[in-house]
Amino acid sequence: MASAPPKLIGNPMATVEQLETSASQIDGIPKELEDSIHFAGARLTQLAGILLRLPQDIIAIAIVNYTRFWLGPEGGSLKKYGAKDISIASLYVTAKLSAYPRSPRSVINVYAYFDAHETTFEHHAPNSPNPLDPQTYFVSEGTYQARRLALMRTEALLLRTLGFTTDTALPYALAITYMQTLDAFADHAAGSALTKRVLAHLNSALFSPQKLYLTHQPAALATAAIYLAGHEREMKLAGEDWWEVFDVGREELGFLVFSLNSQNGFAEREVERWAGRKVPLTVLEVEREMGVGVGMGVGMGVGMGV
Amino acid sequence: MTGKSRWADSQEDAVAEEQRRKEKEAKKRAKLAQQKLAEERRKQHEQQEQQQGGVRDDLENRPAKRQRLSPAQNTDTAQKTDKAAEAPTKLLKFHAPSLGPCRHVDNFERLNHIEEGSYGWVSRAREIATGEVVALKKLKMDNLNDGFPVTALREIQTLKASKHPNIVDLREVVVGDGDDFSDVFLVMDFLEHDLRTLQEDMAEPFLPSETKTLLLQLASAMEFLHDHWIIHRDLKTSNILMNNRGEIKIADFGMARYFSDPPPPNLTQLVVTLWYRAPELLLGASTYDTAIDMWSVGCIFGELLTKDPLLQGKNEVDQLAKIFALAGIPNDDSWPGFRRLPNARALRLPRLPNPPKSSALIRSKFPILTNAGSALLAALLSLNPASRPTATEMLAHPYFREQPKPKSKAMFPTFPSKAGQEKRRRRATPDAPKRGEKGAFAKGRDAVDLTGLFSGRDAEAAGAGFRLKMV
Repeated sequence: MASAPPKLIGNPMATVEQLETSASQIDGIPKELEDSIHFAGARLTQLAGILLRLPQDIIAIAIVNYTRFWLGPEGGSLKKYGAKDISIASLYVTAKLSAYPRSPRSVINVYAYFDAHETTFEHHAPNSPNPLDPQTYFVSEGTYQARRLALMRTEALLLRTLGFTTDTALPYALAITYMQTLDAFADHAAGSALTKRVLAHLNSALFSPQKLYLTHQPAALATAAIYLAGHEREMKLAGEDWWEVFDVGREELGFLVFSLNSQNGFAEREVERWAGRKVPLTVLEVEREMGVGVGMGVGMGVGMGV
Repeated sequence: MTGKSRWADSQEDAVAEEQRRKEKEAKKRAKLAQQKLAEERRKQHEQQEQQQGGVRDDLENRPAKRQRLSPAQNTDTAQKTDKAAEAPTKLLKFHAPSLGPCRHVDNFERLNHIEEGSYGWVSRAREIATGEVVALKKLKMDNLNDGFPVTALREIQTLKASKHPNIVDLREVVVGDGDDFSDVFLVMDFLEHDLRTLQEDMAEPFLPSETKTLLLQLASAMEFLHDHWIIHRDLKTSNILMNNRGEIKIADFGMARYFSDPPPPNLTQLVVTLWYRAPELLLGASTYDTAIDMWSVGCIFGELLTKDPLLQGKNEVDQLAKIFALAGIPNDDSWPGFRRLPNARALRLPRLPNPPKSSALIRSKFPILTNAGSALLAALLSLNPASRPTATEMLAHPYFREQPKPKSKAMFPTFPSKAGQEKRRRRATPDAPKRGEKGAFAKGRDAVDLTGLFSGRDAEAAGAGFRLKMV
C-alpha cells in the first residue's frame, strides 16, 4: 500500500436511479443471473490480480472500476459485453496507472489460465495432484495479437463508460487510522487479529451485490468493518456511539454491518448454485445460459431466494 | 443515499427500534430527574415556609444565590441531555459527484483552432446548450502499443484532482464517434492569452508589480500541485494561460504525474521543455522531485523580467553551458553528489581559483532587480535541487512584501486576444520531448561530447584587455 499517496477522501457515488435498474436488466437479463456474473467477474479480477502480484489496493480499484462499468441504464449491458473482457481491461488499465504496470501479455496469459478451468469455483492449484495441463492455457502469438487488440478496444470502451473516473479512495488505510484512534492496538496481538478481520471484511465488500463501494464513502465502510470485526471478536472498542466521531450515522452503520455480515452467505449460495458449472462470463455464454435458464429457472428459483 | 435493499430491512428495523428504545429511556431518565428535582424544590419550599417565622436572619445570612442557583442549574443540564437524545448528531457528509459515461463531442460547436500543444490540438469551442465558450483539447493518441496512452490518462487524472483558481479547470472529458482511441477531447476553461505569445507582442516587459502578482499566482498553483503529490514536469510560459482579468492558470498536464516520498525510481529524464529543464535532468538523474518544477519557475521569473526566455540552449550541451554561465559552476560544496549523476562523469569542469557566486552572476544579469528579488531568483536557480525553495517557501519570500507591492489583479492591463480568429504567429521554440524519443545523452556516453564545454574558458578569464569586473 506504500505506492499511491492519498489523493482523495471521497468517491463519486451511484444515484438512486442508477441502482434501480441496469442496462443488463433492461436487456432482459434476470437480476439473479446479473448478480452471479458480477460476483464471478469481480472474483476473477481479484484472482488474476493475485497471480499478477499486484498490491491489493490496485486490485481493489480495478474491482471498483469493473463494478462501475455495469452501473445504471447508461452502463454496460451483459448482452453486449462479456464480464471477463471488462475484468481484463479494468485490471490492465488500473495497473497501468499505478506504480506496478503489467504488460498486456502477462494479463492475457493469466486470464487464459483461469479460462482453462472447467468450473468457476473449483481451482486446480499449480501444486495440486492434478494440475492443469499447460497446453490448455497456452496462448499462441496469433491468439495473443487478436486478444491484445480486443483488450485495447475494451479499454477505450471502459474508460469512456466510466467517464475517465479511474481513481478511487479506498478505506484500508482509513480503517487502520480509525483503529488507532479507538486505541484498538493497546493489546497488540488482539489489535492485529482485529485488523485481519477488518481487512477481510473490506475485501469481501468489494464483491457485494449491493455494490457497497459505489454507495458508501470509505469512512463509512471502514467504520462498519471495524464495528463488525470488533463485534465478532467481542472486543470492547469505545464508549457509546463512537461511529459518530467518524461521521457515520447509526442507520448507515446498521445497513453496512448487515450487508458485510451477509456477504458470506451470499458467496456460499453462489458457489452452491454454480457447483460443477461455469458462470457465463462472455456474451455467448450468457446467451446460452439464458436459453437454458428458461427451463431451469423454475426449478432453481426456490433455492435462490436470498 | 443508502439504497433500500431487502436484506437491509430487518437490520434497519432493528436499528431503528434500538434507537427508539434508547430515546425513550433517555426521556424517561430525564423525566425522573425532573420529577426528583421538583420534589426537592417543593420540600425546600416547605422548609423555607416553616422556617420563615423565626429564622429570617438566618435565611438572609445564608448564600441565597447559590442555594437557588444549584437546582436551576440541574434542571438546565437535565433539559440539555433530553435535547441531545432527541436531536440527531450533526455528521459531516461530503458532496459526492455522480458517475456516468462521457458525453459526445457534438454537444460542442468548434469555433477556431488555437494551437498545437505537445500532447494535443487545442481549439476554441462553444457548448451548444449553454453558449459558453470553452477550450477543447483533442488528445494525441500515439504509441498505441500499450493501449490508451498512459500520459493522456495521467493528464486527465491529475487535472481532475487539481481544482485551484490558478490551474485550468477540466470540466469534463467528451468523446467522438467510434470505438477507436483517436477522439477524446478535454473540455477546459478558455483563456484569452498564454504568457509566451503575450510577451512576444508586448513592447515592454511586465512591470515589477505585475511580475510579482503573476509569480504569486504561479507559486500558489505549484504549492497546490506539490501538496497533492503532483509534479507538472512541463512548466513554461506557453503553458501558462492568462485572461484579461490578470489571472493566470497553468495548463497542459501532458507530462504531469503523481510522485511519492521517497521519489519513485526510474523516472524518465526526458521531461520539461529544454529551456526550462533543470540541470539535474540534463545530467541524467533518474530520481528527482518537485525541485525540477521550481527550476522552471525560476526560468519563468527571469523571462518575466526581460520578456525573453532566460536560457535558450540549442541542445542539451548548450543548455548546460548556458546554465553554468548564469548559475555558476557546481562544486562539491554547492552541490554535494552531483558528480555521481550519469552525465556528470563526462564533464570536465574548469578550475577557477575563486569561482563567481551565482547570486553575483544573477545580480549582474538583472541589475534592476532588488536584493530580495535577486536572492529569490538565485535560490530558484540553485544548481543543487535541495537548495531550491519549495513553493510554500517562495510564497513567504520577502520579495513579495517589499515595494512595489504586487499589483491588484483588477488593475492589470488588457490585451487583444490572439486566440480569437487570427492565425497565430509561432516562433521557433523547442517542443516538449516526445515519448520514446532519445535524448542526446540517452544511450552510450559517447553520444555527446561534453569535454569541449568549457574549452578556452580558462584562457578567456586570463585574457588580455580591460573590462569592468562585476563578478
